[in-house]
Amino acid sequence: MSELLQLSVLLPWILAMLLGIFVGATPGLTATMAVALIVPISYHMSATAGLAMIIGVSFTAIFAGDIPATWLRIPGTPASAAATLDGFQLARKRRGNFALMIDLLCSSIGGIIGVATLIVIAPQLAKFALKFGDYEYFWLGVFGLSMSAMVTMGQTSKGLMAAVIGVLISTVGQDVVSNAHRYTFDNIDALAGLHFIPVMIGLFGVAEVLRNVQGEQTLGSSSGTGERTSFLSTIPEIWKRKWLVVKSALLGTIIGALPGAGADVAAWGAYGLAKTTSKDSEKFGTGAVDGVVAPTSANNAAVAGAWIPALVFGVPGDAVTAIVLGVLMVHGIRPGPMLFEEGGAQIQSIFSVALITQVLLIPCGWLGIRAFGLIQMLPRRVVLAAVLVFSTVGAYAINNSMFDVGVMVAFGIVGFFLEACLVPVVPLILGLILGPLVEEKLRAGLIASSGDFTPFLTRPICVCLIALLVLAFAGKPALRLLQRRKSES
Amino acid sequence: MLKLRVSDLRNCRPRLQISRVLTVCCTLAGLAILGCSTDPQAAIDNYPNKTITIVCPWSAGGGTDQCSRFWADQLHQRLETPVVVMNREGGSGAIGHSAVARARPDGYTLGAITVELSMMKQMGISDLTFRDYDPLLQYNADSAALVVRSDAPWKTAEEFLEEVRTGDTPLKMSGTASGGIWDLARVGMLHAAGIDPDRVTWVPSKGSAPARTQLLGGHIDAVVVSVPEAKPQIDAGELRLLAVMDDERHVDFPEVPTLKELGIDWSAVGWRGLALPKETPPEISAKLLAQAEEIAASEEFLEFMKLNGFAVKVRGPEEFKEFLTEQEALWTPVIEMAGYHK
Repeated sequence: MSELLQLSVLLPWILAMLLGIFVGATPGLTATMAVALIVPISYHMSATAGLAMIIGVSFTAIFAGDIPATWLRIPGTPASAAATLDGFQLARKRRGNFALMIDLLCSSIGGIIGVATLIVIAPQLAKFALKFGDYEYFWLGVFGLSMSAMVTMGQTSKGLMAAVIGVLISTVGQDVVSNAHRYTFDNIDALAGLHFIPVMIGLFGVAEVLRNVQGEQTLGSSSGTGERTSFLSTIPEIWKRKWLVVKSALLGTIIGALPGAGADVAAWGAYGLAKTTSKDSEKFGTGAVDGVVAPTSANNAAVAGAWIPALVFGVPGDAVTAIVLGVLMVHGIRPGPMLFEEGGAQIQSIFSVALITQVLLIPCGWLGIRAFGLIQMLPRRVVLAAVLVFSTVGAYAINNSMFDVGVMVAFGIVGFFLEACLVPVVPLILGLILGPLVEEKLRAGLIASSGDFTPFLTRPICVCLIALLVLAFAGKPALRLLQRRKSES
Repeated sequence: MLKLRVSDLRNCRPRLQISRVLTVCCTLAGLAILGCSTDPQAAIDNYPNKTITIVCPWSAGGGTDQCSRFWADQLHQRLETPVVVMNREGGSGAIGHSAVARARPDGYTLGAITVELSMMKQMGISDLTFRDYDPLLQYNADSAALVVRSDAPWKTAEEFLEEVRTGDTPLKMSGTASGGIWDLARVGMLHAAGIDPDRVTWVPSKGSAPARTQLLGGHIDAVVVSVPEAKPQIDAGELRLLAVMDDERHVDFPEVPTLKELGIDWSAVGWRGLALPKETPPEISAKLLAQAEEIAASEEFLEFMKLNGFAVKVRGPEEFKEFLTEQEALWTPVIEMAGYHK
């Protein structure tokens, strides 16, 4: 414990967190990439310092992704796509700093809840996650896809259409199940499919630039200096929503603990949950504070959740923990149930690092918000040009490929026209992320059951997920109907 | 308005010609200057004088990426020039492998090549074979492992294979996508044991980690993965290693038999190596090889491989080429048998 506060640990730790802010806030540079960059450096350090850097960078990057999502409507990492809804709307109402301060505090609180859950119930939760087979993952994916109908309530048909387009786009490339090449036109780069980060940068970033060039709207918010948000003023706002924070963080932790579903799915899940359980769900998407709080509490909690299967079973919950497993082994820490029994001190230091990171996140994130806020003082045309440059660099950096830059430009144009036709683009992203999961699990499940559909409908967790799905859609109308009956009688 | 513009253009023509002549002269002069520095011999003598890129065909954080980053770090220290890793993932490794094959053979692009190179042409994923490269050095070969849960009824590989041969319902196995290396290793194993490969249902997964999760959760009966991939759970007593598919027993599990000892003539290894684009000047590849061989013999290398659980297998260029020829001959019939041949 005392080792954590030595300069040799603290300094690289904070530097890594600042790197996390930069990487997270740059579209196209993901938390995974930041961790991969840190790993070779961490080999030359003590186990504690190396782990502190990695934990620090992964949590801060997930928060920092919300900064450009709020100001510019470009999610910095996939986990921040949900922040482009209400966060961005608040920024347009000149409350961007307010939104980000809330975002930062909720990230930190969500992270603490996630880590606390990790500490308390890691073994139990990890055992539960193992019960998820192909059938259960299929329904989880369907549940996620149904969120596209929820986030676009009021224009559901267009939302579903966008989701279908997203699913169709996700079929491009080599198919995992049969190795068939789909819609690649013999282009070797298309074999990997259309990576969703360039697509996302195009749909949000480039399309936003096009819209601004057209001159109908002003950039995100014209000035970040007009509003003064003190830190203290956000606390009562969050206190009002304490149960929402707790609920979202717990949901995020559970989703994060499921291998194959990470912070991005967690953010959408929490947003959907908050919207369906909210009294004024129609305010979502127009700058509701609840819509900022829920996804950001969940995505940081999910980062903690992903550590549960990693530490308990040595099975990574996401790409970051997959890298972490390698680092743990280099430092002679063997993940598995034995770790909790024998390696008490090592586990303690991982937990302490994760908790302290949540606290350090606040000053580091505050610096990031302030630095990014300065951008708002620049002339609009300069910002737009910079957005284009960053988008291009981001799209290229994800896989070092010009093909992805082409994808980004194409989807910038697609996004521009979709929004011109009032088709929401968020469901398209959901379809793109979840389409492969749903398809792969459906087909793998059918292969395992030799073509029999009944396991999809009869396994206990499947039944629960289906019930949740029905409840999410039919619950509210049914309740309203009941209330009307009561008042009539 | 339009007319005016046309006449403007006409007036401009003489000037255009002058500028064209100027451009040509400048280009020629530029080429002459460049020519001096791109003299092939000078390029070889000066090598390396700029950043070397190692293309890794798999994602950041994976085993091949970890190795590539280790090599980049070591080469950087020895050659005193920046060495970076560039991840080009996707298409079962085809994208990264083809990026190396297409790169300029000047020694500034190195490729991390993996076992998938021995299969992608037969699978119809790509036209590439090892003949499109100058193989430099093989540094790793991890044996395939047949792994079940520790509470499974099968204590030995024979018992497991007997169940496959005579069981009423086909057992479910996983490890990779259909047609991935571990699926083919499974087909080869069953064929060598005289069992119809269709007696097992291969449930495709995105890789070793999700397959092991499915195994731990009881959704499938066995996995074929590499030994280091399953080692943490085997050590923790959650999974049981039934057999390794190699010529010799694995150093970490000396008590576990090989398939060959059980009378099943089959071995499958996932190997990793370094390669250069074809027709890289021999002087340059010699320079790189000298460094690579020194690294492969160093304490740091052995320690890195041991810590990460990767098995060391070093083969120089000629031996590596022979091995690659053998690998092609090994996998081609298996791919045909499994019905993935295109």
